[in-house]
Amino acid sequence: MYESAKKIYPREIGGRFANLSNLATIVLLGLFYAVPWFNWDERQAVLFDLPARKFHLLGLTLWPQDFPYLAMLLMILALSLFFFTALAGRLWCGFACPQTVWTEIFIWMEQWTEGTRSQRMKLDKAPWSWNKLRRKGAKQFLWITFSMWTGFTFVGYFTPVRELGAELLALNVGGWTLFWGLFYGFATYGNAGYMREQVCKYMCPYARFQSAMFDKDTLIISYDEKRGEPRGGRKRSVDPKEAGLGDCIDCQLCVQVCPTGIDIREGLQYECIACAACIDACDSIMDKMDYPRGLVRYTTEHALHNEGTRVLRPRMLVYATILLILIAGLTTSMATRTPIILDVIRDRNALYRELPGDIIENSYTLKVINQDNMARTFALSVTGVEGITLDGVGDTLTVDGGGVLSVPVRARAHRDNAYGIMTIHFTVKAIDDEAVTLAEDSRFLGPTP
Amino acid sequence: MISEEYSGAKQWSRDKQAVFTVVWISFLSAAIGTMVFFALFDPVDLFGIFDEDLEISRDAGYAAGFFFFWILCVLCSGVTAYLVRTAPKRNAKH
Repeated sequence: MYESAKKIYPREIGGRFANLSNLATIVLLGLFYAVPWFNWDERQAVLFDLPARKFHLLGLTLWPQDFPYLAMLLMILALSLFFFTALAGRLWCGFACPQTVWTEIFIWMEQWTEGTRSQRMKLDKAPWSWNKLRRKGAKQFLWITFSMWTGFTFVGYFTPVRELGAELLALNVGGWTLFWGLFYGFATYGNAGYMREQVCKYMCPYARFQSAMFDKDTLIISYDEKRGEPRGGRKRSVDPKEAGLGDCIDCQLCVQVCPTGIDIREGLQYECIACAACIDACDSIMDKMDYPRGLVRYTTEHALHNEGTRVLRPRMLVYATILLILIAGLTTSMATRTPIILDVIRDRNALYRELPGDIIENSYTLKVINQDNMARTFALSVTGVEGITLDGVGDTLTVDGGGVLSVPVRARAHRDNAYGIMTIHFTVKAIDDEAVTLAEDSRFLGPTP
Repeated sequence: MISEEYSGAKQWSRDKQAVFTVVWISFLSAAIGTMVFFALFDPVDLFGIFDEDLEISRDAGYAAGFFFFWILCVLCSGVTAYLVRTAPKRNAKH
């Protein structure tokens, strides 16, 4: 399926940015694979329990009703992406995107089994032999094992991972769990093993619109044309100035290390994922030639033209302000979140009932959801009509941790006070914690006065 | 002086670009759609509407919902891409 694209054999390169990218790969993937195994209060610390419709995040349990938090979080993440893109270009692409990070690991495995760039190219051209079979087989074994483990870990975020492990060992994994595990595993295998940079070039929406966030003060990876040109090979002993040459020795190393196969010397291109491999490559050559480093470097368009770079510019301030407002909003609303939900459903079958002794009665169903993980006892009260009382329910309600309690209640008031449509307020207040309280309005109907 | 085997990556064909882009972007949209939809509706309640006796696990409900959204999005953006790409070219002389 991929013959039409020429395979890219990125050359391995060490250096400052390679170290940074290795660190990012290890930390990010390490977290991905390790997090499901951590426990918190005898429960998996991070578990998106879809079958039970509850998200556990450390000590916090989120319900579908908490969806606005998720929406806000996504907005914060999107805006952070804008902010960092405007500040320092495609940091996300180069160091944090799952596509990059997993591709990196898969390339490591490719290097362990098939060797360096030139060895890999030779191996691919060579006819099938025992050596080729052995090396390709080893690579496939590593890739497939790693992909399956990835799929297993992914499912482990949605199904308790320890139980899942036991089920897997007993070869007794449920149908959908198995399906999603294989699905994710296969996607990892295809994306990181084969599609690689094609995903960034053809399928990633961010890669296409990120340039909208760029301006002349954005940090980009750039070739210093003024210093490098005219490029050309030379002996180390030759003084480039006398030979009429720039600092670029045209060694092609920056092209060979590029995972997307571009030539950074042609200027900023949308294929560039800002992995900085070309900086490492060029610096190593500059060191060998005893030229100063930085012929290819992180810089801004303004800096390249010897104009000052402004970090604090309107675009940055706008992004930062919106970001801060959103973060403050999310933190405040999370901090003041009451872990209860109260629903009052008025009985629709009757407007009201008249009881002996000039009493008007309305019926309701109360639904109390306790989002906490411990059982709670709540005091229930109602206000809004003079002398209103509740019947059919005690003064307190006890709801299990994570439980839903549904109780029918009848509210009664004297006919002198109850006429027309009145608004009443039901309140539940936790006995052990005054701060945990919630009110919900409903209607109380009486005869027309 | 770029070596023979390294003249840069060739391009995907236009058709392949279109197919993969449509499938992938539909996948992302379907993921968002599924998330929002099932945050509001519980699949167990939902499928009960169609048939009281239909018992479906939440897992299966989520999966069915996701594939429904995915197919819908592939259909929508696939047809759009097809129509845009096969539209008669405007003649500049007119």
